[in-house]
Amino acid sequence: MAEPGGDAARSAFPASVVVAQRELQDLWLGGRGLPLMLAFTLMSSVTSYLISSNQTLNFLEVRESVSLSVRVAVAVSALLVVLAAADAISGERERGTLESLLLTPAPRRSLVVGKGVAALSLWLAAVILSMPYVWFLGRGVGVVGKAAVGSLVVSGLLALFLTGLGLVISIVLTSNRVSLALSLFMLVALYAPSQLATVGLQPSAGDLVQRLDPFTSGLRYLDALVVGGHSYGQDVGLLLAPGIGAVAFPVAALAMSGHLALFGRDRP
Amino acid sequence: MGMALQAKDLRKTYAGTVAVESLSLEVEAGKVLGFLGPNGAGKTTVIRILSTILVPDSGAFWVAGVFHTHPQQIRQRLGVLPESAGYPAGLTGEEWLTYHGRLFGRTRSAARATARRLLDDVGLSGRGTSRIGTYSRGMRQRLGIARALVNDPDVVFLDEPTLGLDPSGQIQVLEIVTRLARKHGVTVMMSTHLLAEVEQVCDEVLILNRGHAVAQGTVAEVVHRAAAPRQALVRVPPELHDRALTVLGDGRIESRPAGSGRRGELTVSGPITASPEQLSSRALRPLLESGIPVLAFTLEGGRLSDAFLAVTAGSGG
Repeated sequence: MAEPGGDAARSAFPASVVVAQRELQDLWLGGRGLPLMLAFTLMSSVTSYLISSNQTLNFLEVRESVSLSVRVAVAVSALLVVLAAADAISGERERGTLESLLLTPAPRRSLVVGKGVAALSLWLAAVILSMPYVWFLGRGVGVVGKAAVGSLVVSGLLALFLTGLGLVISIVLTSNRVSLALSLFMLVALYAPSQLATVGLQPSAGDLVQRLDPFTSGLRYLDALVVGGHSYGQDVGLLLAPGIGAVAFPVAALAMSGHLALFGRDRP
Repeated sequence: MGMALQAKDLRKTYAGTVAVESLSLEVEAGKVLGFLGPNGAGKTTVIRILSTILVPDSGAFWVAGVFHTHPQQIRQRLGVLPESAGYPAGLTGEEWLTYHGRLFGRTRSAARATARRLLDDVGLSGRGTSRIGTYSRGMRQRLGIARALVNDPDVVFLDEPTLGLDPSGQIQVLEIVTRLARKHGVTVMMSTHLLAEVEQVCDEVLILNRGHAVAQGTVAEVVHRAAAPRQALVRVPPELHDRALTVLGDGRIESRPAGSGRRGELTVSGPITASPEQLSSRALRPLLESGIPVLAFTLEGGRLSDAFLAVTAGSGG
């Protein structure tokens, strides 16, 4: 054994980068990320086939087909991100591996940032994988570029928002199951109004609520962009809610990371 | 020699229940402190406070000379094997140690070299590239000790390092502890229930009961202060049972038939101040001088286990 306190070569990387590298390796080489993306690709293929069939039968216009495909990608990436973030801290707690991490001099914030980066990688992979389907469904009508940029922006803001939300829940709760269940419930509760809006509810009745809901307003922005043919800036106000969520919740997670403890707030 | 570990009046409560109360301790650098107590005495809470995982309600402590208000500096100099530590089953032992080495600020190559050295030190060099999920409990425990040493710490806390290990695993762990302190000058605070091993390995002991330190000092000091009863079991031929009792009575040493009820087995007790040698002499001499063969003589009192039981009497642990 070396002499205690002996000099060792110091790393040039901050701890958050070290944690992110480890988490990304665990996620993508350890097995969870790739099967999830394979499942997503299979689901996108089936969805695209069905949408394409509806196009052929003239049930859906090309722009609506692209919008539907993008909505699926946004929803799936949101689901993957929120579950990964919700598992990040409470999962370590439940597996008994958090204490060893807390015993290192790495700042608590680095642990949260590194795990957040790994969760966000799922969003990026899902969005990239959805692009060929968007191109396939929207080719020839000049909507692919707008759909790609729009989905990247909207799903990116939602991914940041949900990563922050999942991490906050994961920091607070000790039980991983409760953390995952609560995060999933929050996702469904936020996503549901966006679906209600499309099934013929009076837009004026819940307009304010829909603008406040990051999902509904984000997806409305996408619809306006892809289906309505609006410019990028025309409905930019609809990005306010997802934008605020994308800033507020990651900041909240970072603020709470300073108080990251072996036990959540629900236990001594 | 300076103090590697100091604590003054530590107090910690959980939702109104006192876990640790008025705990003060001092451990010199390079010493091994046996941290004893019944289950639920507060040992793990104390270790978690001193390792900056929990914040005490009141009190102060220093680890390797660093005051408790600088937790990151303390963690830089501290190694801990937590109680019931979890391990990532999907990583290899080497990957896990390398990761932790990097979290202590080492480069990837330096962390990997340290990981390999430590795996070798704890006898896991042949399994470093195997997934931790395939390790036995003893191997995981040794890996946990290697993890505690990944930053070449000045102070090491080992919370139940021999828990669940077979006798050879226990011996290996205790050898590592001894080597750390004697060869590398590392201060070790070890929580364990293996009292006989504590007597061999530890320079000092601290016994905790219901959150209070009830005994602290060298093993001899603790045993002496705890006024543990000193007694011995004497075996003589069954046909000489009654005569042996008479001889011992004439020699003014308290004797009675042993609790086993078997003829030929006697329990003799000496005064509290008697050393084991005095007790042996006072019990054996009259028997041998009377021509009564002594088939066995086992000292039962004056051990750390007696002191432990005496100072933790009435504990529910």
